[in-house]
Amino acid sequence: MTSFRPIADVAGAGSGGEFDPRVATRRRRVATAIVIAALVVLAGIGGAFTPTFLTFDNLLVVIRQASITGVIALGMSYVTISGNLFALSAEELAILTACIFGWLMRAKFGLALSLIATLLFAGLGGAVQGGIIALGADPIITTLAFGGFFRGLASVVSQNQNILLGTDAAQWLGTGRPLGVPTQSWAFLILTPLAWIVLQKTRIGRVLVLAGANRAAARSAGLRVGQAALLGLTLLGLCCGLAGISAAAQFGQAVANLFQGLNFDVVAAVLVGGIALRGGQGSPIQAALGAAFIALLQNFMLLNDFSSGWRMTVVGSLVALATCLFHILQRRRE
Amino acid sequence: MQSDGAVLRMRGISKRYGSVTALQGVDFSLAAGEVMALLGENGAGKSTLVKILAGLERADAGTIEIGGVLRRLRSPSQSLHAGVAYVTQELSIVAPLSVAENICLGSDRHALWSRRRLDRVVRRHLDLVGLGDIDSATPAGDLSVAQQQLVEIARLLSRNARILILDEPTAALSDAEIEKVKAVVRTLAAEGRSIIYVTHRLGEVFEIADRVTIFRNGHSFAPMEVKSLDVDRLIEHLLGRRLEQMFPERGSISGPVVLALRDVTAPGLREPVSFDLHKGEILGLAGQLGSGAAAVVRAIAGVTPRLGGTIALHGRPLDARSVRNAIAAGIAYCSDDRKRDGIFAVRNLFENFTSPALPRITVGGVLSRGREVKLASDLAAFFEVARDRLGSHAGKLSGGNQQKVALGKWLGIEPSLLLVEEPTRGVDVGARAEIYRHMRGLANQGLAVVFVSSDNQEVLGLADTVATFFRGRLVRITAAEHLKPEELLRDVTHPEAVAAGGPA
Repeated sequence: MTSFRPIADVAGAGSGGEFDPRVATRRRRVATAIVIAALVVLAGIGGAFTPTFLTFDNLLVVIRQASITGVIALGMSYVTISGNLFALSAEELAILTACIFGWLMRAKFGLALSLIATLLFAGLGGAVQGGIIALGADPIITTLAFGGFFRGLASVVSQNQNILLGTDAAQWLGTGRPLGVPTQSWAFLILTPLAWIVLQKTRIGRVLVLAGANRAAARSAGLRVGQAALLGLTLLGLCCGLAGISAAAQFGQAVANLFQGLNFDVVAAVLVGGIALRGGQGSPIQAALGAAFIALLQNFMLLNDFSSGWRMTVVGSLVALATCLFHILQRRRE
Repeated sequence: MQSDGAVLRMRGISKRYGSVTALQGVDFSLAAGEVMALLGENGAGKSTLVKILAGLERADAGTIEIGGVLRRLRSPSQSLHAGVAYVTQELSIVAPLSVAENICLGSDRHALWSRRRLDRVVRRHLDLVGLGDIDSATPAGDLSVAQQQLVEIARLLSRNARILILDEPTAALSDAEIEKVKAVVRTLAAEGRSIIYVTHRLGEVFEIADRVTIFRNGHSFAPMEVKSLDVDRLIEHLLGRRLEQMFPERGSISGPVVLALRDVTAPGLREPVSFDLHKGEILGLAGQLGSGAAAVVRAIAGVTPRLGGTIALHGRPLDARSVRNAIAAGIAYCSDDRKRDGIFAVRNLFENFTSPALPRITVGGVLSRGREVKLASDLAAFFEVARDRLGSHAGKLSGGNQQKVALGKWLGIEPSLLLVEEPTRGVDVGARAEIYRHMRGLANQGLAVVFVSSDNQEVLGLADTVATFFRGRLVRITAAEHLKPEELLRDVTHPEAVAAGGPA
């Protein structure tokens, strides 16, 4: 069984001509194209009506805003693509890692050790959830429970008070601007293509996609489907760790009420990016674009004095609209 | 419309699924108080017809008259309203609710129920289905499968169903339970209701049916009085003429033994099974649903545990505790449901074809695009899937091409044993012949092949050796060329065993 007969004329083989490959390619690009178009339209409208909108300084603000949500949305896109919907513990894990990082820094463990220990903890926090989901637990319920656990632990670690880092050693991580771009944004800009490459080009990334596309088929093809949930949640945990560290470093302190509403923002980024909820389709780049779009919209509304209530209303209806647009249409195509 | 006692009249019913014609201008009629058996091989169209009648599928053309009135049946509730009830193999019993609650489920005639009132309402229906001795307050989940089936029938009777469709009602039942279900069918017919009885078991036809309608390749034949038939004539009608050109030439088998089973027992088997399979040989396991044929390949493939006996692959003991183990040993297994676990519908064919062979296209954990394209193109070429379709989603392909993908992806692991359940289910006639040719081609190249099929033509046409199964037992193993179609059909349906003492 080592060699296969080449068939001279494959063009006439198979039955029927029901398929045009260009159509499928187009359809797969459609979600990404819609988000990019929406970004451009929003930027155009914003620039026309609000003079301060399309300035370099303001765009840096937007990118920085998008970065925290965006980095976590990259991790979340892995979870969604692996067929495990969403992890509703991202916000809580980010808070907990901020508190742990603050605590370690205050206890004078030094920057390097604190960084490594915090990231290890963040990865472990994700991996434990991923392991439980891999065993067959429901992802939403599991992560909801762990969210409560992480939040409680954050209160315990911080004793509900501000943890002052007590040193400027980490400050550069949160406020530095290499080449004029904030560190968080560097992380976002570097991690986005990296996340895409891992998913697209590595074997483990392929296993994750296939397990998300059809878990039963992946299992009967001999793939370790448990790896998918494990990888997705672990990477998400690391992303949450990065967000927590950067927030603690930026403010010089950690507190248990950071990142309010982050879970919703991250889920919104994934949905607005048009990633299919049932898994097996989509790319981290879509989540990144979704995060950028929401940050741009938020910024536009802030500059135009929308109240927080209106901002939330608008973003909420945007997510509902994206859900209708992408997800109902995708289902109809089946 | 003149009345000739027909409660149901379907005329010119046609139905296509994509490129597959399931029914072509089929006529069907049913008289009051009769039991009509529907017979036909898999894919002959009988399931499609009853689904159209039950409102689960819509016909592309044709008319349906019920009680002389033209009806449009577009949903199960419209069908039920018209008096048609469909009892499927998958029961819709709610296990934690009581028998009485299950019967009344979904009927909204009363807002408040007391246990006594419920019992009074359902008692008549329970008596009718032979469950008169059951306490209607028992949770339905505590009943046997046969009893649950009868409860389901009682529920449909309580909605005043005049026409009952029973789709292989006895497939999952024991002999004693089967007798009970048959008795109920006769009682209901005597009461003036009409019953459409879909079955694979010829014996049952003689025992309970008044007439029989035979389906073949999407056509139906005029109903025949069962009294005027015997088993041999029924088999003759059922098989029709052979389609010899569908099947490739057999090769000669002289290779070493690849797979040896000795006294293997597994879930779904009632007696141990032993056989040898040689290099280049195609073994067909023939049997209906629940016959144990599928249980054998599932145990070899590591899908279900082997409970006893030994399996040897290339003379070495094989202990596949999981599908992964079996794959590592060079065993490829295709289930009978490719949509469920055979293809990745939302991924392209490159990814589908290479999915079991990721190590082969990976260098140091990184996928090699070149190797992936090469492997997928080779497999596509071998299975005659057009190369320009490799970029398309597997879900967009026809059933035949999907099956080629589900089969073809396994060649990437260079298997020595290929196990296939129902290799051409849901595949149109043209692609069927191609798949047979490819399976024979693989055997000629030295692959040992075992396939399970409830399609007797397929078994006789494709296999070198045939093993017949009936109710968890291996009936016999014989060379396909020495097996007559009639013998095969008898083996897998055992008409005499079932109909012993019947009117045949």
